Amino acid sequence: MVQYIGTAATARRRRRRPSSLGRAEESPLLARLDWTLLLTSAALVGYGLWAIGGITRHVVPGDPNYYLSRQLVFVAVGLVAMLAMIAIDPEWYRRSMRGMYVLMLGLLALVLLAGTVSRHSRRWIDVSFFRFQPSEFGKLMLVLFVAALLADRLQRMNELRTPLLAVALGVPPVLLVFAQPDLGSALVYMAALGACLFVSGIRWSHLGLLTAATVFLVVAVLWLLPAAGMPVLHGYQKARLTGFLSPSSDPTNATYNVNQSEIAVGAGGVTGRGVNNATQTNLNYLPESQTDFAFAAFAEQRGFLGVAGLLLLYLLVVWRGLKIVTIARDGFSAIVAAGIVFGFVFQIFVNVGMTVGLAPVTGITLPFVSVGGSSLIASMAMIGLLQSIHARGRLRRG
Amino acid sequence: MRRSRPSGKVADRRIRVLLVVFAAVFGVTLARAAWLQTVQASSLASKGASQQHESLVIPAGRGTILDRSGVQLAIGEQATTVYANPREIANPRLVANAAAQTLGVDANVLYPQLADRTKGFVYVARQADPQKAAALKDRHLAGLGFYPEERRFYPLGPVASQVVGFAGIDNRGLAGVELERDSTLSGRPGRETVIKDPLGRVVDVLGSVSERDGHDVYLTIDHTLQAEAEAALRSAVVQWHAKRATATILDPHTGAVLAMATSPGFDANAFPDTTPDLQRNSPVTDVYEPGSTFKLVTVAAALSEHKVTATSAFTLPYSIQVSDKVIHDAEWRPTETMTVGQILARSSNVGAVTLARLVGATGLSSWISRFGFGHDTGIDFPGESAGIVLPRNKWYGSAVGTIPIGQGIAVTPIQLAAAYAAIANHGLWVTPHLVDHVIGGSRPKIDRRRVVSPAIAQELMGMLVNVVAEGTGTLAHVPGYNVAGKTGTADKPDPQTGGYSTSKYVASFVGIVPATAPRLVILVTVDEPHGAIFGGTVAAPVFQQIARFALQYLEVPPDNPSELRSPSTSSSSTATSSPAGG
Repeated sequence: MVQYIGTAATARRRRRRPSSLGRAEESPLLARLDWTLLLTSAALVGYGLWAIGGITRHVVPGDPNYYLSRQLVFVAVGLVAMLAMIAIDPEWYRRSMRGMYVLMLGLLALVLLAGTVSRHSRRWIDVSFFRFQPSEFGKLMLVLFVAALLADRLQRMNELRTPLLAVALGVPPVLLVFAQPDLGSALVYMAALGACLFVSGIRWSHLGLLTAATVFLVVAVLWLLPAAGMPVLHGYQKARLTGFLSPSSDPTNATYNVNQSEIAVGAGGVTGRGVNNATQTNLNYLPESQTDFAFAAFAEQRGFLGVAGLLLLYLLVVWRGLKIVTIARDGFSAIVAAGIVFGFVFQIFVNVGMTVGLAPVTGITLPFVSVGGSSLIASMAMIGLLQSIHARGRLRRG
Repeated sequence: MRRSRPSGKVADRRIRVLLVVFAAVFGVTLARAAWLQTVQASSLASKGASQQHESLVIPAGRGTILDRSGVQLAIGEQATTVYANPREIANPRLVANAAAQTLGVDANVLYPQLADRTKGFVYVARQADPQKAAALKDRHLAGLGFYPEERRFYPLGPVASQVVGFAGIDNRGLAGVELERDSTLSGRPGRETVIKDPLGRVVDVLGSVSERDGHDVYLTIDHTLQAEAEAALRSAVVQWHAKRATATILDPHTGAVLAMATSPGFDANAFPDTTPDLQRNSPVTDVYEPGSTFKLVTVAAALSEHKVTATSAFTLPYSIQVSDKVIHDAEWRPTETMTVGQILARSSNVGAVTLARLVGATGLSSWISRFGFGHDTGIDFPGESAGIVLPRNKWYGSAVGTIPIGQGIAVTPIQLAAAYAAIANHGLWVTPHLVDHVIGGSRPKIDRRRVVSPAIAQELMGMLVNVVAEGTGTLAHVPGYNVAGKTGTADKPDPQTGGYSTSKYVASFVGIVPATAPRLVILVTVDEPHGAIFGGTVAAPVFQQIARFALQYLEVPPDNPSELRSPSTSSSSTATSSPAGG
């Protein structure tokens, strides 16, 4: 059994010893933020804007800053979201976990009913000037919900039915996202769910069991069911997923994207080709260069130095995120932080991995770098949530 | 405090596991990026460049070939080449049918090519009619592409087709003047390096070298004379059921070839469908045994070596023994006395051999060479034959008896015509040539060398005039003009027996008009005539027909006008009756 600070016994102990924690709660919220994380995320937002400014320079003829200026608006909205997340006590989410679950399922279902189709997928809901992508926010809500669920059952983590309950409640949103179809987000949901279970102290044997079941499911979806005449994935999806196993088998079709992406990354070299000479991006050889393959476009323009800087900033966020897990005031906050951080890392790895040929092509955004409001606002809200947990956590930092 | 509790340790350990996993993930990702962006960078960058850049060739317009009067013999015509990218074709059957309807290509041949998605480029039709291609383009079928291409067209069709030759589908000369002057005609193609987007559309031009069109080539050929010569040959081939006939008209002073005809011929636009045998420009590439026309060399040698004079007389029997061979004259006659001029006029074989013996084998061999036999004339035409002339040290016993009368030696018509042209040109041999000039280029260099002295050339001209006036060549007579010339009737070698055929001959006549002020040298050869075999009978009338037309066409003043003023023979009636009457 895992004992977090926030279990009942710890809470009682905390109340009896105000001297050790009380000072932190007395100082204003803003003073208790993680300043390293704040600076890092500010740098990451700036870095992302710099990347987007370059990537989208030649997309709209005559208006080189079209996407950059839109993205600036999203940064402003994101700031508001971040501040709101800081202001809200995480305990509130825990209390309204049922409502949040319903809201999440409702939004994801609404996408399927009233969403806008673009490039084979129904992922967006048109809201006047921008497209709202619920799956980006669903990620956060799922983590909050599962964390609340598990935090209430930390004492019973040894029993298999606890993780099974979490998985059972996690499956509907995963399926709804998968049905859009948005395989990448579905995988991120599953990863975040797994991370929540992991830090909640799921037994290794149970974790192994669930992993085996997942692997079996993947095999079934990719090979067994199609062989039995029940295809689950669209042809292009399966080709993309399995294509990275043999990248050069068909240079023109399924792995075209990856080949072009690797060319773009490699052509960037150490110092990058700059905005105007990044021909892979500017001539549209690189597909989805503003969203899914934004990393490749960025790598072409800014080279390995730019890439290393970006990965370093991500790593800083992750490092601070893990620190926040350790100083979270209770199990719920710790699980939330862990789920968020793991989802964040998973998303980065799947996205970057796909552009450099390490992971299958799934269609997933790169936080802070991909063009788009939902992704950026959700990412900034996520940082806000981490800050909120930090500000309400134990005083000892670092 | 938390650290002291087991549960806290579990949580910490798990977070540490996550930290390790995360660090590994970032490490692997960073390593992969470093690998791609350092070690693999240049190869990936060049992979990118190769798909983005394309070097386009801008074809240069091919030069026109014109005759001496500026009439076009070979021109570049605008055509449209239609190609397809099978990968972009949604419905190959539909596209194949559309191409069949508009361009007339075979849909069943095209369909499998369009359906083969392994290829990104196939030709639908090369150099198609631009209007038909436009009709196909108007259907807006995806996957089809069009680009303009020049197609070679020969406006005069069969006229001078063997001389002009042919340029193939890639606009490269494959035969004739098209091949000989290919570099002049083709010009220099331009080059353009462009940047393409993934759909193959040109986005930007990186650099270009503009094309330079080929130069126009003017031939010495006159299309009117050429057509007339071809017509005369055609009727001779029909009349004598001959295998082939050639005519060569030279300007003796300049070496310009005014006409070079071979019959049967072909339409130059159908060159690829023609047999190689028909494609040959026989006067330059084919050899024949010249027979009696070669006696000119023997007589010229004897005169030049001062062994005889024009009036030296010889008592000549009907036949003469040379080594293992008996040489006799063409028709039986008793032993007679003939002058050197009469030997030529009556084409006496015995007489020619007698003169050759005076000159000697070595002397004769060097004179043969001096007249240009056994060497390329240097005419500007590909595939010229040097003829077959035995070097002196290979002469067999009877060679000194056969070679002086044009047997056991093979020459090209252009060699023989050039030799006679040297006599017509006061003894000066001039390189025969087909290209008069190239626009923007220098005039071709023409070699001139002396073969015989002007005086001997004069004497030989006199003798050749007598051949036509009273010898074997009377049918070559052109009213109003003095004609110098020589007949030839040669047995063809029989490859099966190694000796001579008893039924196959080459009948020839070479003439110089007007004899007093030569303007034209015309050689006519008729290969394997049937019914009659003699040069004087078969070839001389063809010469007469061509010469009469040419003199009139070129407005050459008659050098024997008294003949025309005679009331019994007006120019027109003589022209038609003369051949039959001779």
